[in-house]
Amino acid sequence: MTDAHFSVSSTGASAAAVAVHPAARPKMSARNLDFFYNGFHALKGVDFDIAEKRVTALIGPSGCGKSTLLRIFNRIYSIYPKLEAKGEVLLDGENILDPKYPLNRLRAKVGMVFQKPVPFPMSIYDNIAYAIRHYEKLPRSELDARVELALTQGALWGEVKDKLKQSALGLSGGQQQRLCIARAIALRPEVILLDEPTSALDPIATGKIEQLISELKDHYTIAIVTHNMQQAARCSDYTAFMYLGELVEFGATEMLFTKPSKKQTEDYITGRFG
Amino acid sequence: MTTSSDTGSRAVADRLYRKRRLINGFNLLASGACAVFGLFWLVWILWTTLRHGIAAIKPSLFTQMTPPPGAEGGLANALFGSLLMNLMAILIGTVIGIAAGTYLSEFARKKPLGEVIRFVNDILLSAPSIVLGLFIYTLVVRQMGHFSALAGALALSLIVLPVVVRTTDEMLQLVPSQMREAALSLGVPQWKVTVQVLYRSALPGIVTGVLLALARISGETAPLLFTALNNQYWSTDVTQPMASVPVVMFQYAMSPYESWQSLAWAGAFVVTVFVLLLSVLSRTILIRNKVSHD
Repeated sequence: MTDAHFSVSSTGASAAAVAVHPAARPKMSARNLDFFYNGFHALKGVDFDIAEKRVTALIGPSGCGKSTLLRIFNRIYSIYPKLEAKGEVLLDGENILDPKYPLNRLRAKVGMVFQKPVPFPMSIYDNIAYAIRHYEKLPRSELDARVELALTQGALWGEVKDKLKQSALGLSGGQQQRLCIARAIALRPEVILLDEPTSALDPIATGKIEQLISELKDHYTIAIVTHNMQQAARCSDYTAFMYLGELVEFGATEMLFTKPSKKQTEDYITGRFG
Repeated sequence: MTTSSDTGSRAVADRLYRKRRLINGFNLLASGACAVFGLFWLVWILWTTLRHGIAAIKPSLFTQMTPPPGAEGGLANALFGSLLMNLMAILIGTVIGIAAGTYLSEFARKKPLGEVIRFVNDILLSAPSIVLGLFIYTLVVRQMGHFSALAGALALSLIVLPVVVRTTDEMLQLVPSQMREAALSLGVPQWKVTVQVLYRSALPGIVTGVLLALARISGETAPLLFTALNNQYWSTDVTQPMASVPVVMFQYAMSPYESWQSLAWAGAFVVTVFVLLLSVLSRTILIRNKVSHD
């Protein structure tokens, strides 16, 4: 299906900047989405797509609602009282905001990594195996293989393969964050949500995570919230700029950063406000 | 012109600095003296317990029963009684307390019902232990018609319960909310996240709370007077009255017999050492856990 899309659009008008990344199928879509924090209107009629097997970035000043938007896609906001989302969020065409949509199945399909790395207080191995054990009953050797695969995909295997039984709390911040990404990948999710995954890390660790993101997008659909515009420019295919709870501009990253169509976007990416 | 005003402001600064140093010196001395004053009594109490207690420690203390006045004996039945009732109390208090604390932290946080329960628990936490003893006396002893070790354990568990509820609640609330989010984001149900991830994180704190509760009930006398009463003989029947170290101490220390008084000192020594060890143990658990978290 996607292959067909590829061939059609790449033979088409490839000169147009938008066609750098030929029309990818939207994996998740928000439609006319509103969000309320205890009555405060935090998101206003947002329409937004996360394209399949692409990296979509969300940028904007603090408090613009980009993390709020991301946290709706796996309904993690719902663990707190008095938060309410209205509208539709579709995953492969099904509305995940429908209370009948099974929450834990959604979260198995849509993984999330947070700003602060939070390894569970157990061994490195168990951190990865924890969720796998919840969903599957695997013999030891297969579980070992799954853990190794996840850690390899998380670009951490080489550093931890000799200390899998040690506590994950002993890892450095950057390693802990890659562990968290590996933990999310281990479940073979379809979508990975990254909420400012590098804001607590030093530049070297940040570089590793960014490289990891570009490797992961061959297999996963990724959405990333970032404060760092260079990061969005470096590792995303599409970028959305948000301001005061509204989605101001959304398009191919290259277009948004070189020829923004809205004045607010231009002001933000040139550093005139925000 | 500028030089004179410079020297003037420097003189003011020097004077203010000297004044601050003076105040600092005084306060440091005063707080040091207060610390020494407090420690003085503590050391005196420990020293007295040690001096009288050590002298009375003999192997027979752990093998013989509480004697009649004038005869030789030990505290075997009282030590066993204390051990048994404390264990039962910890078991009852911990199971219910952890469940209740988990409810407060994970399921009723910021809800009115949770706040009410927390408030009531705090009242229970500071309730005089003699009141708890009387409560169990009315509820259990009067109904059964006689004193029993079971009633004693129940009275002690009422002391354990609020401590465990409070520490479980607080330790779970200390677990960063991001850890909950990360675990729930894997699609693992909340009860499993609580038991397998959050408890692991909060465990050292909860264990410490349980140990401190155990230390507290080891010396409780009042709630046992109306419930387990005392027993001169070896008894393992929890439906019957049972001896305990604090009650025996209370009885023997007040007596005019020297052999009884010396046994009371021995009991005091054993309880003090036990409580001391528990404190050291709980501290070690906390410190070791803190280091591994960094």
